[in-house]
Amino acid sequence: MGTENQPNPPATGQTPNAPVAGLPASQKAEAAPAVPAPVALPNPLAHLPHPFQGVDYLLKGYHVEATVEPDQVVAAAGHLSEEGFALDTITGVDWLAQGQMEVVYDYFHPTRNLRAVVRTRIPRDNPLITTISTVFPGANWHERETHDFFGIQFQGHPNLTPFLLPEDATYHPLRKDFTT
Amino acid sequence: MIAGESKLAAEVLGARAPQVGEVPSASGRETFVINLGPQHPATHGVLRVKLEMDGEYVVRAEPVCGYIHRMHEKMGENRTYAQFLPNTSRIDYLSAMTYTHAFVGAVERGLKLQVPPRAEYIRVITSELNRISSHLVWWGAFLLDLGGFTPLLYAFDDRELILDLLEGICGARLTYCYYRIGGLYNDVDDTFIEGTRAFIAHFRPRLKMYRQLVTENVIFRKRLLGIGPISAEMCRRYGATGPVIRGSGVAYDVRRLEPYSVYPQFDFEIPTFSESDSMARYLVRMEEMAQSLRIIEQALDKLPAGPVMAEKVPRVLKLPAGDYCYAVEAARGRFMVRLVSDNKEIPYRVKLRTPCLSNLSLYEEASRGMLLPDALALMGSLDLVIPDIDR
Amino acid sequence: METKNDQLLSDCAPYVRFAKLDELLSLSRANSLWPLTFGLACCAIEMMAAGAARFDLARFGAEVFRPSPRQADVMIVAGTINKKMAEAVKTLYDQMPEPKWVIAMGNCAISGGPFVFPGQYAVIEGVDKLFPVDVFIPGCPPRPEALIEGILKLEEKLTGKRRWPVAKTEPAK
Repeated sequence: MGTENQPNPPATGQTPNAPVAGLPASQKAEAAPAVPAPVALPNPLAHLPHPFQGVDYLLKGYHVEATVEPDQVVAAAGHLSEEGFALDTITGVDWLAQGQMEVVYDYFHPTRNLRAVVRTRIPRDNPLITTISTVFPGANWHERETHDFFGIQFQGHPNLTPFLLPEDATYHPLRKDFTT
Repeated sequence: MIAGESKLAAEVLGARAPQVGEVPSASGRETFVINLGPQHPATHGVLRVKLEMDGEYVVRAEPVCGYIHRMHEKMGENRTYAQFLPNTSRIDYLSAMTYTHAFVGAVERGLKLQVPPRAEYIRVITSELNRISSHLVWWGAFLLDLGGFTPLLYAFDDRELILDLLEGICGARLTYCYYRIGGLYNDVDDTFIEGTRAFIAHFRPRLKMYRQLVTENVIFRKRLLGIGPISAEMCRRYGATGPVIRGSGVAYDVRRLEPYSVYPQFDFEIPTFSESDSMARYLVRMEEMAQSLRIIEQALDKLPAGPVMAEKVPRVLKLPAGDYCYAVEAARGRFMVRLVSDNKEIPYRVKLRTPCLSNLSLYEEASRGMLLPDALALMGSLDLVIPDIDR
Repeated sequence: METKNDQLLSDCAPYVRFAKLDELLSLSRANSLWPLTFGLACCAIEMMAAGAARFDLARFGAEVFRPSPRQADVMIVAGTINKKMAEAVKTLYDQMPEPKWVIAMGNCAISGGPFVFPGQYAVIEGVDKLFPVDVFIPGCPPRPEALIEGILKLEEKLTGKRRWPVAKTEPAK
C-alpha cells in the first residue's frame, strides 16, 4: 500500500513495510520488505519504531514517510514531537473506490531540512481515529477541518464542532459522494 | 500595561474557562462574553472572536472561522490544473504571486518540468515585490489598529508603485495570474526592470523614514514592547511559521531551510529576533522588506536571457498517480500545496496548507489574561488574512 | 411691479438659490456618503486603495468609513458572501438607518464571482439575493477608479444628474 490509487486494494490488514513510493513501478509489484532499495534514499528517522522510508524529495516534496496503523498515529506524533518536529497539517483523502479514507499527517522541522509524512487508512463507513491534539495542540483545528470536510471522527478531541462550515452543518463536502 | 504586572491580571491568568452557571474566576468575579466581528475594522477580514472578558482582561478568546469559506479545495477537484490558477491568487490575495508559485511548483514537480532560468529569476523578483507590498499593507493596517492613521496612507502610496510595475507585466493589480505551469506567460520588458530599480532607490530611504517616525516612536514602543509573548516551543506545537516563529528566535524560513526556485543563488539574511513579543514580530517584517530589496537587486543584476516558458509542456496536463508537495515562504509564513493525483486531468485532491490557520490557532493560548487592546495588538502582529484560514 | 420683482431676483441671484428641499437633501447626501467598512475579501484591499492617497475618495466626501452600521449611509459589499455570513450581512443591512444604499463591488457580490461551480455549497450567488442593490461594480477585483465610478453613479441616482465629467476614451485608431 502506498500513495497511489491501486485498483486492487489488499483485502486484509496493511503491511507496515510498504514499498517505497519513489521506486520504479517494477519494484513496487513485489511486496517483499527485505528487498533493498536500488537508490539509496536517506532515512534520518530510521531509528524510530515506525516504518519510515526515504522518499525522493525532488519529486515528492518530502523526505520520509511512514504508513502506519490507525492506532499508531499518536505514538508516531509523540516520537516526531520528541525529535523536534512541528505539525504542518492534517488532511484526509477520500478513496471512494476502495472504501477507505486516508488521513495524512504532514510534519516539518523548524531547524532541519526534513519533512516527514505519516499516513494511515481507516474504513470509510466508520471513520474513527484517535486525536493527536494531546501531543500537538495545533492539531485541534486541523482535525476539526478534516472532520468538516470528510466526516472523520477524531476520538478524544476536545471540541469536534464545525470549523469552516456553518455551526449546524451536517454535510461533509469533500467526500466523493457529496451532492448538494 | 503589561499583563502579569497587576494582581488582578494574576488572578485572571490563573482562571480557567468557566462552565455555564458556575461562579467563574478565582476572584469570584463574573465574566461576560462579547463578540468581536465578524464585521470589525481590526479583524482584517471576516473573523469572529468570542471573547470571554473579566472587565478589560481577556479570560478566553475563541476564534470562530468559516465566514469567508470559498471552497478552494473543492474547486480543485472540479478544475483542471491550469483552470485552478486564478484560485491560487485569491487564497491570500496580498501575496498572490507566492501562492501561485507554490501551486505551479507542485505541478511542475509532478511533471518533472524544467522551468527556464529566466522565468525562475523573474518569479523570484515578482515574489519579493509581492512580499514587500504585502508587508506594506500589513504595516499600514497594523498601525491603524493601534490608532495611527497616517502610516496607512504612506504604505499604500509606496505600494501603488509596486502595483504599477506588476500591472505593467501582467495586467492585474491584486490577484495576479502571472505564472503558468512551465514558466511565465509574458516576459518582462525594460520598463519593468528600470522601474524596479527606481523603486528600490525610492523605497530604501522610505524604510529609514518609517523607522524614525514609527519604530522609534515612544507611544508605539509602549504599545508593543513585551506584549503578547509567544515562545518558540509554542510556535512548534502549533506549527506557526513566518515572522511569528522568526520573532521567537527560530530562524525558520522555507527559502533557506527547504530551498526552492533559485533562492540559493542569492545572498540575504533571515531576520530573527529572540524577544518573542509583538515588537519582535514587527521588526522581523520591517527587516524582511529590506532583505527583499537586496534579493531583487541581485536578481536584476543576474537576470539571464532566454525564454520564459518551458519548451515541452504537455497540452493536457496529467500528473502521474501519487502525491506531490511544494512549499514556499509566503509573506505570512509557510504555504504548502499538496496535490494528490490519480492520473487524470483534474486533481484528485488539492490540499492547501496555509500559514494563517496555524498562526491563529495559538491565539487562544497566547491571549489569556491580556488586556483587550493588547490582545488586538497581538492579533495584528500575527498578520492575518482571513480568507487564508477559511480558504 | 413685475419688473421690480424680476430686478430683485436677478440682483439676488449670485447670493441666493431656490430649490426644492428634496433636491437639497439629495445633494447633501450625495456629497457625503459615509460607507460602512464591510470589506470581506480581496475587493476590500481595492476599497482601501480607493480611500488611500492616490485615488482619494475624500474628494467625493466618501472617505469617512464608519465601522458601525448605525452611522453609515452606504454599504459597499466588497467580497464574497458566504452562507455562514449571510445572516450577519442581513443584520448589518437592517441596522443601517434609512435612507441607505448598497453598492455591490466585485463579481462575488454581483453573482458569486469565480466561486460558482456545479455542486457549490457555501457561496451566496450575489448579494442582491439578500437585499436590494443600487449599483453593481463588476471586476475581480475592480480597480479603485471603478469603485469611484460606482460611487459617482450612486450620486447620479440620488441627485438625478451626473455631476462629474465622464472620462473620454480615445477612439481606436
